[in-house]
Amino acid sequence: MAVATDASSAPMELLVSVGKNQSTKTLLRVLILCFIAAAAVASRLFSVIRFESIIHEFDPWFNFRATKYLVAHGFYDFWNWFDDRTWHPLGRVTGGTLYPGLMVTSGAIYHALRALTVPVDIRNICVLLAPAFSGLTAFAAYLLTNEMTTSSSAGLLAAAFMGITPGYISRSVAGSYDNEAIAIFLLVYTFYLWIKALKVGSVMWGALCALFYGYMVASWGGYAFITCLIPLHAFVLVCMGRFSNRLYVAYNTWYALGTLASMQIPFVGFAPVSTSEHMPALGIFGFLQLVAFLEYVRSAVPSRQFQTFLYVGLGGVFGVALLGLVGLTTGGYIAPWSGRFYSLWDTSYAKIHIPIIASVSEHQPTAWPAFFFDLNMLIWLFPAGVYMCFQKLEDEHVFVIVYALFGSYFAGVMVRLMLTLTPVVCVAAAIAASQLLDTYLVYKSPVAPEAKEEEVTDGTAKKSKQSALRSTSQPVVGIYTLISKGFIAGAMTLFLLIFVQHCTWVTSNAYSSPSVVLASRMPDGSQHIIDDYREAYQWLRQNTKEDAKIMSWWDYGYQIGGMADRPTLVDNNTWNNTHIATVGKAMSSREEVSYPIMRQHEVDYVLVVFGGLLGYSGDDINKFLWMVRIAEGIWPDEVKERDYFTPRGEYRVDSEASETMKNSLMYKMSYYNYCSLFPPGQAQDRVRGVRLPDQGPVLNTLEEAYTSENWIIRIYKVKDLDNVGRDHALAASFDRGNKKKKAGKKRGPRVLRAE
Amino acid sequence: MKFTAIAGACLSLLSSVAADANITAPSSSKVALPSTFKPPQVFKNANLVHVVSLEKNFAKESINVLIENVSPEPQDEYFLPFTSEQMEKVGGIEVKDRKSADVVGFTVEAVEFDPLSDTQYYRIRLPAPLSPKSQQTLGISFHYLRALSPLPAAIEQADKQYLLYAFSAYCPSAYPTLKQKTEVKLPSADIPDYTTIAGSGDVKEFPVKQGSKLIYGPFPEVPAGAVSAIKVRFESTKPVTHVSHLERDIEVSHWGGNVAFEERYTLFNHGANLSAQFNRVKWAQSQYFNPQTYALKEMKIPLRVGSKDAYFTDVIGNVSTSRFRSNKREAVLELKPRYPVFGGWKYPFTIGWNADTKFFLKKSASNYLLNVPLLEGPKQAEGVEYGQVQVRVLLPEGADNVKFYTTAPESSITGHSVDLERTYLDTVGRTVLTIKARNLVDDFRDRELIVSYDYSTMAGLRKPLIIFSSMISIFVGIWAISKVDL
Repeated sequence: MAVATDASSAPMELLVSVGKNQSTKTLLRVLILCFIAAAAVASRLFSVIRFESIIHEFDPWFNFRATKYLVAHGFYDFWNWFDDRTWHPLGRVTGGTLYPGLMVTSGAIYHALRALTVPVDIRNICVLLAPAFSGLTAFAAYLLTNEMTTSSSAGLLAAAFMGITPGYISRSVAGSYDNEAIAIFLLVYTFYLWIKALKVGSVMWGALCALFYGYMVASWGGYAFITCLIPLHAFVLVCMGRFSNRLYVAYNTWYALGTLASMQIPFVGFAPVSTSEHMPALGIFGFLQLVAFLEYVRSAVPSRQFQTFLYVGLGGVFGVALLGLVGLTTGGYIAPWSGRFYSLWDTSYAKIHIPIIASVSEHQPTAWPAFFFDLNMLIWLFPAGVYMCFQKLEDEHVFVIVYALFGSYFAGVMVRLMLTLTPVVCVAAAIAASQLLDTYLVYKSPVAPEAKEEEVTDGTAKKSKQSALRSTSQPVVGIYTLISKGFIAGAMTLFLLIFVQHCTWVTSNAYSSPSVVLASRMPDGSQHIIDDYREAYQWLRQNTKEDAKIMSWWDYGYQIGGMADRPTLVDNNTWNNTHIATVGKAMSSREEVSYPIMRQHEVDYVLVVFGGLLGYSGDDINKFLWMVRIAEGIWPDEVKERDYFTPRGEYRVDSEASETMKNSLMYKMSYYNYCSLFPPGQAQDRVRGVRLPDQGPVLNTLEEAYTSENWIIRIYKVKDLDNVGRDHALAASFDRGNKKKKAGKKRGPRVLRAE
Repeated sequence: MKFTAIAGACLSLLSSVAADANITAPSSSKVALPSTFKPPQVFKNANLVHVVSLEKNFAKESINVLIENVSPEPQDEYFLPFTSEQMEKVGGIEVKDRKSADVVGFTVEAVEFDPLSDTQYYRIRLPAPLSPKSQQTLGISFHYLRALSPLPAAIEQADKQYLLYAFSAYCPSAYPTLKQKTEVKLPSADIPDYTTIAGSGDVKEFPVKQGSKLIYGPFPEVPAGAVSAIKVRFESTKPVTHVSHLERDIEVSHWGGNVAFEERYTLFNHGANLSAQFNRVKWAQSQYFNPQTYALKEMKIPLRVGSKDAYFTDVIGNVSTSRFRSNKREAVLELKPRYPVFGGWKYPFTIGWNADTKFFLKKSASNYLLNVPLLEGPKQAEGVEYGQVQVRVLLPEGADNVKFYTTAPESSITGHSVDLERTYLDTVGRTVLTIKARNLVDDFRDRELIVSYDYSTMAGLRKPLIIFSSMISIFVGIWAISKVDL
């Protein structure tokens, strides 16, 4: 953008002449990139300024906890970490089931700063890691775009777009300490290195590409995107008849080294040679060998013989390879496509087969407005940029086209994958925008060579100085006039300004809430912080036994582990569907069914989130149907979704609610004692907007242990077995002072007692 | 300002303290004596008034005693007996002359002799030996921590809390006492249980109850070591706030002109536990009429005027329920824990703030004098007690010749040391004075800690020079490498 400044006065002219100098240009470029990086970092700091330096949401809490473990115990202990404080009683082989890149990066930064004796808190490193890496991502986008076009402004535009696009900011605000924080940088940088390797055909660039690919594999499960995209690019190039030694060298170097690197991660292990997701890369690897061999044969034998050879040889090898793949897959040596991948092809697959994936909001298909929300004007510059790539259609442009196609598809299938689309949108949009700006700002009118210097700055003088010969043969119209230049430049500036404004607004309003802390406004306009989560977690941490097991829905597992430091039954690493379904069953069943489940799992406390008092809609009653569905998946006879609806098919919580609903543990825990907060007859649930019955639910096997200030978190203690051996319902009824019901029918005739 | 006067007065003391007690060798406030030790019967207590004050949530006792030397030689060692259980809990022993404030220089030291003996002693050394037959009035004051226990130990959320305190009606003494009485001051007149003993003189039965005060005595002559166990149970619906560990860091920055304070508390409420689980409905409803409660809801920490940038965090981040008011007249930090801290509950937290050095630091040549409160912390009507206190004073890098003096009772200071700690691009590390104390109470907040140290200009310029030269060498290194043609 700064490159596009209109120079119109004498000092500007001086500036321009200085700007012509190569080293000045470099300096300017470095300065601009630094400013872009600073802007990228600054726009991600909303939440730190508004709230505090805090880890956001759910998954980051686990990453934060793992990082603390890494820093405290060292790398090898981290690598072998078996965590017995999650998934009680199963535990989790955490060291072998996570992507360690993020934690190791933070740990390395932490130790480097410690070595310089800078006493920095590991929490602050974790909070600020994502913004810092977004600065690097902007730089990587600059490099990648520069490989696509000769225009010097395109790279800078791409860097600026990448820096502030909400599509990327959504996953990289300060405190969003998630794998994506560093993975997007690695993604873009790996692509840059791949293009570089492909262009140069050098082993060094290929090896670097493999190195960063390895880092990417260590950081994010989304590495499969690279694993599929690069082979696809190679395949398309071969199909276009563009096989070259450069491609051969680049691809083979990347594949061989990259696969070895990726297999060093325990969680990935042998997946690169044994799962279907990785088969394209392996297939193209073989295919390239074949093509190279054919090229060699073609150069050695006459063309007729070569054709026969081609048909027989190629067909045979292809057939054998395909048969082998099918055979190995059916034989179970190669894992078929996993459920998560199926859901990428069939968006309703997850809803039917894996409710646990479908229950996550970020796995839903993208709504159309989301594209505009996340990318704003880039979304309409993007096709133009792809079109520009078609026009040039070098090897690297094919890459952008392939990436654009696949990225768009995936972004349409899953909200989360908007993130992988964003880099290519930025690159393509920058190509288009810079083309526009270059055409209208830098292009000179076709004039005689001697009049060149004036034309740069002075548009009005153009027409008079145009050589007669040219103007007669080709009349100069349209874009050379000041009006058209001014109009386009003005419009572009306006769009860019609106873009910046939109990005800031989206970041500030949509993506900067820590969700652990809620903000509201007091009547006088001052900010009031609703800190119920941390209140309750802190209470758990300080006032319960060190090994008290907490049962909650899996959403809160990581937070409980991170903030309350207590063992949990299930957490956001949803590796064991049955265990989650068990918790779902305990939550959705009657107390008599739930109590044995909780006893078997040694549950001490049950935690539920209830938003009824405050109108906080993300609470457990609203998530309840997913618990029911997931439980139904395992116990279809015992838990039935239909029973939780009224006969008319409504999901209600008031006095009309179905009996199963009213007797479910979740319902009871949410509304227990709630109506006593209100005057009689006025108990109200502010989320569902309904009036509740005056008679609240009765809990026999649990007792309320703690409720946070605004009732968002309610913690219940599981009662121990009764001392006298009664069942809990009986004991509780006795405590309430009810008379014991006469058991069964009267035995024998009534006898007058005489003492 | 007041500071200069105190500083001047203290300098003389400082030199004496630091001269004999080399700072690196911890001066022990303990005297080793043979295991067969018995206090020589050289004194008698002519008259003794023992005041047991239970108005706060620790037991504060003061003994005003008229001692008389009954031996033929002048004597200067008066022994004060405690049971071994009390030895763990007692703190802040101070002695002064009740008759004249000019007499200073009493030293109090624990006596180490037979660790298994149930009776242990503190030795009070009088500033001047007491000649035979002459008398002196001592005012001895100290307090016991964790001395009050709730009875019943578990109550309902809205119930009244009753505390129990056990002591002796005869003031424990190593010497015969001719005449004595014990006054017990209680926070309220609601005293459901107290031990009664046979009276003497015209009073038939002790104690005499006067409002919220119980008086045992006067008693006639009592031999040395006589005990008469008394228990008092009284209403005190206030939190029994106990800070088991307090770490207080005071970091002096000459370049920034700033003194940064940070305090880490491990706070417990030793009051009655909840007999049923916490009930939010009842709690929320009771907040409308704000009754007396034994849960700790709020703490007020008055800081020195001019304090700024206060923060209140715990292990999971900022606690948003705090208020800090700072103006010309006062600086008050009002803290609300995340949850009301009921008996048996725990709430560790961290607070910190900054202040200008001009309020605390005085310079003469290259010598600096730092005067800070030894203890700040909550100022509550019900009092706060501190089990273990560690005060660290982080002086700038290169500060040496560190000496300190504190107006807190010497017997409470258990040790001190000077080490180095490396932070913020230090090369040598900054000088850290660590002072450990035990069994303090909030009565001692604002007792002074005066630290004197030398700090030369060269030491101040050290860090900028080192950073500058290392940056230069990095640049030169890069330049040199770029010149190498591979």
